[in-house]
Parts: sequence; structure tokens; C-alpha cells
Amino acid sequence: MYSEIFKDHLTHPRNAGELADPSVVVEESNPICGDRLRLALRVCEGRIEEARFLAYGCPPTLVCGSIITEMIAGLSVQDAARLTRQDLLDKLGGLPSRKMHAAALAIETLRLALERLRGD
Amino acid sequence: MKRRVYLDHSATTPIDPRVVEAMLPYLTEKFGNPSSVHLFGQEARAAVDRARQLVAELIGAQPQELIFVSSGTEANNLAIRGIAERAAPYGRHIITSAIEHPSVRGVCQALEQRGWEVTRLPVGEDGLVRVEDVRAAIRPDTVLITIMLANNEIGTIQPIAEISHLVREERQRGHRHLWFHTDAVQAAGRMAINVAELGCDLLSLSGHKLYAPKGIGALYVRRGVQLAPQMLGGHQERDRRAGTEAVPLIVAFGKAAELARQELDARIERMRALRDRFERGVAERITDVVFNGHRERRLPHLSNISFRYIEGEGLLINLDLQGIAVSTGSACSSGTLEPSPVIRALGRDEELARGAVRFSLGKDTSEEDIDYVLEVLPQAVESLRRISPLYHRALGERAERSPSN
Repeated sequence: MYSEIFKDHLTHPRNAGELADPSVVVEESNPICGDRLRLALRVCEGRIEEARFLAYGCPPTLVCGSIITEMIAGLSVQDAARLTRQDLLDKLGGLPSRKMHAAALAIETLRLALERLRGD
Repeated sequence: MKRRVYLDHSATTPIDPRVVEAMLPYLTEKFGNPSSVHLFGQEARAAVDRARQLVAELIGAQPQELIFVSSGTEANNLAIRGIAERAAPYGRHIITSAIEHPSVRGVCQALEQRGWEVTRLPVGEDGLVRVEDVRAAIRPDTVLITIMLANNEIGTIQPIAEISHLVREERQRGHRHLWFHTDAVQAAGRMAINVAELGCDLLSLSGHKLYAPKGIGALYVRRGVQLAPQMLGGHQERDRRAGTEAVPLIVAFGKAAELARQELDARIERMRALRDRFERGVAERITDVVFNGHRERRLPHLSNISFRYIEGEGLLINLDLQGIAVSTGSACSSGTLEPSPVIRALGRDEELARGAVRFSLGKDTSEEDIDYVLEVLPQAVESLRRISPLYHRALGERAERSPSN
């Protein structure tokens, strides 16, 4: 049902935890199912130096949190802002249609973090 | 090879090799239709009769009081719809509980849409229906009470004999058209069942929960109780369930029932000892867990545990990747959560309902199986908690409360 990449991230999540000196921290939740994703980013000179996540909810939400931190680490803020749900899905080898909301939550949380960064 | 441990016997059980052996001739050379008068037919008829006797003995019933059906779900459908339709001239009120199996909940809901009224009794934190609540819910137009013998998610055993006593009192007061059904699908083979002691009018059974194949169940209907058949067009099962009998499956069910009766005490003792060892191990190794359901009044093979700060589905997949099969009552699909109504009915908050996992042992679960689960489970819980914002928040709050630490 899930890809090997998916299983790997579920059992060995990357970049889990919090950052000591984050530039921005946001926590978003899916208001209907209650899944939560927290993203913390440290940005230096327009580039994401480090990203950490915490997640609660169904397995795709946990995996999307882990994968998105890997995808954005080292990216410029502009490039990170261009990431789409499809990029995330391609990276994790697809999701069952009823679990698509997990990818949506991850992209939404990232967008919010980048918006807040710009606002500061 | 990685160890594989199956702790989902409440979902289904493996077929006992002795059961396979008993049914095989009826899949091959003994293929007759029990309704045929020739020798082939007689052979099949005799096998069905013998199986009926064996299943009846498991629950202390008479063979003619059993109707073979295709599943526990069909047994529940036949019982509830059959009574509701037959008794409709006397009333259209049904009493049930908030934690019934979906097959009971679904039929009650369908009847509700057709004009029946349904009272769903709450359960206490222990998962038990209060007999007083049943008494208070009975109305002059109540025709059916349907309350499960043991729950499929938490295993709590309901006070069926006490409710039957109530029903008899009501009948003595002149409330003649009141029937009592209990769903014993989870209970059979895991506790002693005697319909005379339980006092119910109807009782549902399923083969694949007691080491028979899927596709066979039975409904006990006490002698004299009339119900409207739901499957028409044949005289099988004394005109109560049309359709050629599934002879191999019926034979298998009979054999499984015979083994369950003979080995019941040993199975119960073994499963309870291992289950209790498992629960002690969990309590020693993992913090912030809540055991769901009454501690004593429950089936011996089942343990339902809520793990705080994490979601059951993540734990299920994590364990599955390590060869351990368990199940959860709640699921998130299409971005909407379907939390377990059973755990919610216990008054647990949503986080505990989402974090509930069911471990159900079988007659062949071993000590080594339990030890392996106790080795893997704490790490799996810990790895999910490490990435949970709820856990990090709780840790932060704890640190604030005790700054000296």
C-alpha cells in the first residue's frame, strides 16, 4: 500500500524535533481530522539552513513532515516557496487518494512558514 | 527471517488444521446437496445434522434452534430485522447499546430510517451497560433489545443474564412481544456460553472467530420465537434461511465448535495468562498508557490500550513493518477522522480514542510471541512520540511544573 521510501521515513524519520534558534516556527492542523504538523526553519541570507518537524496524526502526515524537511534543507526561500503538493507526492512515491490531505497539510504549513518569514 | 506475530484474532483466526481435515472430503468426493434424496444427498445431510449438533453443544442449545447463515453479520441482520419485521404490529421500538458491532449498528440505523425508534444506551467508563438503564428504556412498544455479549474492541462482557431476567419480568407483566438478542460473535470460543443461563432469545455466532473458515455463521433462535426470514425461496433451515447449505463450511464450523468446547478451559487459561503478562510488561515499559474496558469482566484474549500523544494507525504500520499484526478502531480517511465510537463511548478524549490499539491473542500465541512484542512495542511508541508535537508540549509543561528537575 505504501512505498519503500514511505516506510523508511516512517521508521526512520529525518530531522525530527525542534530547533534551538529557529527563524520561524509554525504549527498547522487539519481542522477536520486533527492531524498536526509543526515546522521550524533556520534561514540565513535567504537560504534554509536547517528544517525540523514534529507531527501527530496518520502515517502519511508523519512521513510528509519528514520528507518535506529533507526537500527544503539547503533551498533558497524562493525555491522552497515553489514546491507543490505534486513534488512532495513524487518524492514519496505517491499516496492513496484518501490520504492526500497529508501532503496538502505539509505544503500549507511550509507556505505559512515562508509567509511569516517574509512578514518578519 | 523476521519473526511474525499475529495479535489480531478478534479480526479473524487461522483455520485449525483439524478443521481443514474435517471439511476437505466435503470439498471433494462428498459434494451432495443435503436436500437431495439420494445417497449423495443423505451423506451431506448427515454431515450438516452432525455439525448442527456440535455447534448447538457449544452454546447449550438444541440443534433445531440453530440457523446456519453466511456470517456473524448475517446472523445479526436476520435476528434484528427478522424480529423487528415480525413484531412490527406490536411496536417499533428497539433498545441497543452505543458500542455494538457495526453490523448491529447498521441494521438499527436502517430500521430507524424506515420508521422504527432506536434507543442507544450509553456505557460507563468501564464499557458496561447498566441494567437499570435497560429497565428505564423499556417502553410498551419495545419489541427488541439487542446488546452484545462481549465487545469486539475492548472485550467487556455485558450483564446479559441480568438483562434477560429483566425481560422475563416484563413478560410476566404482560409485555409478551419483547425479545432479547445478543451478538456472541467475539465471545464464542473465548468464554463459556450457555443459552439457558444467559436467557436470551437469539444469539449470533461466527465461524472464523473460532478457527473455522470465513463464510459461515449461525443464529440461535430459542424454540417458539418467530422471525421473518430475510432470504426467501427455499425450505432450507426450516424455512428460515433459503439457499443450499454450505456443507463444507458447516462441517468446518461444527468441528471448530467441537474443539472449542473440548479445549475451552485450557485456551482461556493460556490466553489470559499471556494477556496479563503482556499488559504487565506494557505498564512496566511504557508511560502514559490507558487500558480500556473493565479490568475483570472481559474476554481473556484481548487487550485494548490507548497510547497518549500518538495515533494508533502510525503504531499499527510501525509494528506491521516489524512483523507484528494488531488493529485500531479509528481511521483517518479523506482528511476526516473516524474515531472509534467504542473508545469515545467510554468517555475518553479524542487523543486517547485516536491512540487506541487492540491486541488480540489466539489459542496458539506463545510466550516468545509476547516477549517479542514487548521488545518491539516500547521502541515503536517512543519513536512516534519523539516526533509528536503533543508529546513535546507535555514534556515542556512537565519541566515547567518541576523546575528543579
